[in-house]
Amino acid sequence: MGFSMSQSEKPGGLNRRSFLTATAMGATLPVIQQARAQQAESAPADPRAPVDVKLRINGRDQSLRLDARTTLLDTLREHVGLTGSKKGCDQGQCGACTVLVDGTRVLSCLTLAVMAQGSEITTIEGLASSDGALHPMQQAFIDHDAFQCGYCTPGQIMSAVACVNEGHAGTNDDIREYMSGNLCRCAAYPNIVAAINQAKNEMRKA
Amino acid sequence: MSAAAPEPKANMGQPVPRYDAREKVTGVARYASDQQVSQPAFAFLVTSAIARGDITSIDERGAREVPGVLDIFTHRNTDDLTQTKYGQQGGGASTSIQGLGPEIRHDGQIVAMVVADTFENAREAAYRLKIGYSEATPSASFESAGTEMKDANGIMSVATQAKEWLSTGDVEDALSKAAVTVDAEYSTPTQHHNPIELFTTTCSWQGDKLTIYEPSQFVFGLKNAVAERIDVAPDNIHVVSPYVGGAFGSKAQMTPRTGLVAYAARKVGRPVKLVATRDQGYTISTYRAETRHHVRLGSDRDGRLVAYSHEGFEITSRPDSYSVKGTEETAHLYSFGAVATKVNVVHADRNTPGFMRSPPVVPYVYALESALDELAVKLRMDPVELRRKNDGMKDSFGKEWSSRSLMTCYDQAAEAFGWSKRNPEPGSMRDGEWLVGWGCATAVYPTHNAASAARVSLRSTGEALVQIAVHDIGTGAYTVIGQLVASELGVPVEKVRVELGDTLLPAGPVAGGSVTTAAAGSAVLKACAQIRTRLIGGASSGDGAPLAGVPDGQIRLREGRAVAQDGRSEELAKLFERLGQNQIEEYAEFVPAGASSNAMERLYQGKPTFVGGSNGEKLMYSLGAEFVEVRVNQRTREVRCPRAIGAFAAGRILNTRTTHSQLMGGMIWGIASALHEKTELDEKRARYVNDNIAEYLIPVNADIRDIDIILVPEIDNEVNPVGVKGLGELANVGTAAAVANAVYHATGIRIRDLPVRIEALLA
Repeated sequence: MGFSMSQSEKPGGLNRRSFLTATAMGATLPVIQQARAQQAESAPADPRAPVDVKLRINGRDQSLRLDARTTLLDTLREHVGLTGSKKGCDQGQCGACTVLVDGTRVLSCLTLAVMAQGSEITTIEGLASSDGALHPMQQAFIDHDAFQCGYCTPGQIMSAVACVNEGHAGTNDDIREYMSGNLCRCAAYPNIVAAINQAKNEMRKA
Repeated sequence: MSAAAPEPKANMGQPVPRYDAREKVTGVARYASDQQVSQPAFAFLVTSAIARGDITSIDERGAREVPGVLDIFTHRNTDDLTQTKYGQQGGGASTSIQGLGPEIRHDGQIVAMVVADTFENAREAAYRLKIGYSEATPSASFESAGTEMKDANGIMSVATQAKEWLSTGDVEDALSKAAVTVDAEYSTPTQHHNPIELFTTTCSWQGDKLTIYEPSQFVFGLKNAVAERIDVAPDNIHVVSPYVGGAFGSKAQMTPRTGLVAYAARKVGRPVKLVATRDQGYTISTYRAETRHHVRLGSDRDGRLVAYSHEGFEITSRPDSYSVKGTEETAHLYSFGAVATKVNVVHADRNTPGFMRSPPVVPYVYALESALDELAVKLRMDPVELRRKNDGMKDSFGKEWSSRSLMTCYDQAAEAFGWSKRNPEPGSMRDGEWLVGWGCATAVYPTHNAASAARVSLRSTGEALVQIAVHDIGTGAYTVIGQLVASELGVPVEKVRVELGDTLLPAGPVAGGSVTTAAAGSAVLKACAQIRTRLIGGASSGDGAPLAGVPDGQIRLREGRAVAQDGRSEELAKLFERLGQNQIEEYAEFVPAGASSNAMERLYQGKPTFVGGSNGEKLMYSLGAEFVEVRVNQRTREVRCPRAIGAFAAGRILNTRTTHSQLMGGMIWGIASALHEKTELDEKRARYVNDNIAEYLIPVNADIRDIDIILVPEIDNEVNPVGVKGLGELANVGTAAAVANAVYHATGIRIRDLPVRIEALLA
């Protein structure tokens, strides 16, 4: 399910290239092979025929009828109206589309919506509590000015929350390494590290 | 206070958090492609597979078989789009190459756009479109046959109106007599802005009115250029761009996609949404072209410069003469003695380059500051002292600086860095298997100004609203404009609402040339002054006025009250009540000295006017000094940059937080310029090879360690009414030279071609 950024076997050895290879090979191919195998067994189905998809997003059930090729990112943005998750490359290079699937950070642009069924999906819109109180990571990003244009920010924050929960925020070096799948062209990186250091303590208390 | 929000020093404002912070951390901020339109159709671009030649066939059959395809736009059915004038000086079109064929003039030229009911169907149909070409051999870059080189003299650029190259004295004579000389060639690579937000456009028609949702650095420019392109009245076009997901110059002008999407939306009768792919972004917008430099410096034995000669070469497209002409800036930087400059453009089969963060100074200052370091080595002189020796309040042309704090920047940064512990001998400083190198260089950026309008209103409740069509591209414009209004009207910053990035608002300049705060701020000051005049006039007169008889000049607006010098005051609400008004609204237009009298009219027509830099009576520039440490692995030769310190002086600082982020991000851009970024070009086919953000290396978090920013207090009341010099494009200048100079110090190897790569250090 999905593409975990925490699949690195070598501690501290995750870079964006090995990450890309791992995700592309590890996750996409089996799905395609499976689909092809199913096609071979029965009469060729119209690959464009819409499919019913049930997703649970930010605690709400959504019933959708989608082109099977629709990514989780495009589903969120174009079919559910949740535009907080951003499209920065649509090929798993920038991290702006990062969401949590069952608590694991996932690139929603490399995840088909059909693959996310039966899971709990959390987007940036679902991070603050319903009374409007910000998640400690959101507040820390404000306090440390951990963004400028703000476009990569939803992905950075979702990734940062997962980074802390994975136990990969112990040292500055760890934070830098495990946050390197989220590009920030404005280059707020030192402030992002500072924000995660602040939020990890508050997340521990909570 | 934290590192991100430094304690304000003299002439610096409070580090209030960003106005748009909550929207940005909650995902509520609506960037262009987030805007919801009713029943959109989706567009997908097809770009050319060759750089030069002609389209010979278009087979639409496969594409048309895809269900949901609404239309396919090619050169065959779009020839009624108007060719729009290339915006040489900003505004207007980013390129003359606007048609979808049949002639192909660069790699990745838009040749078709498919519109379908879903994104998935549009994408599939686009891949099924078969386009045949006859291919001619393209000229890719400097080394290619078939390029055409021209003297760039007379080519107008945004900030330079010079008709002759800057020169003074006899450079050849001075060089021949100089005790020490440097004669070196440098080069900088092709770079792409790569904002994380893709190039998107959504167009929606209601009758003959068009709304464009597109990330823009110049909404009035876009509005007027699209109007020309699709032949409608500008008044019928509304551009909405409240948030921009990074731009760095790439969203300053109208690129060919926008008119096409507007055209398609009209044709298919429903809104059309385009989100171009990352690789398409490399060719459908602009970029920083590769440059070459021949620099000669001469000095006496004590390091006093006697000659500076700099010839630059810049790549541009076939039809357009884009040129940054950085010698127009570098020639003023020090007291050089004799100066000779020249810039050439080289036309190749490439897309037209354009503004990218600090266009003139990034390549040219790299070359100059590298040559200065080479001179310091030859003189056996400390590079800081070499700059001190040639620092002065007058340049070689006799022009004075409005303010110049360069050596203060050097001294503060050097001390923080520990520069005095540097052993100047190359390769002398080591830490285990790492060779340690320390280098420094100057950062400089011209202080521009431009025309801007603004509307400000103040309500009896103490709430204020400020509206200007300037753009917050991550700079902090929302925040500092709100702060200015708050301090001018004496209300809390939380009570100021700021509206930007929309053509329904009073016109503001392009978010370019680091001009926004100077221009918009000056217009805001003017509008606020008009409000104050009306309020204070009312406060000092009328029945029952507590401040009756107090001269207007002795009344201030403070903390929601009109306050006299003697301490008497009247609450804002009471004052409004006495005036019989709920709110006061004022519109103001600011036109800077030196701008044409019709600058405001031109601004509303989408044409920018820039003044400042070296064009006025005095030299107006932001300055800084940057120090970096590099570590070069003795065996693998990998290069790391563990720390960098920059000290910057840019006049008044309105917000130390947003300023710190601008400068920090800028220095990281500079490190990236030195060590990472290069768009690789297939020299045979004139195509970009690494057109994605995994292979085009922009820094990731793990590439960056300690970046220390020092804000140097500076007061300059001559630059503009606000007293700000502009700093969005300051800190990424000079960094590449500082890194290359540090690499020399670590290894003894002088890198004259950026970026610094391992293979160049495997000597």
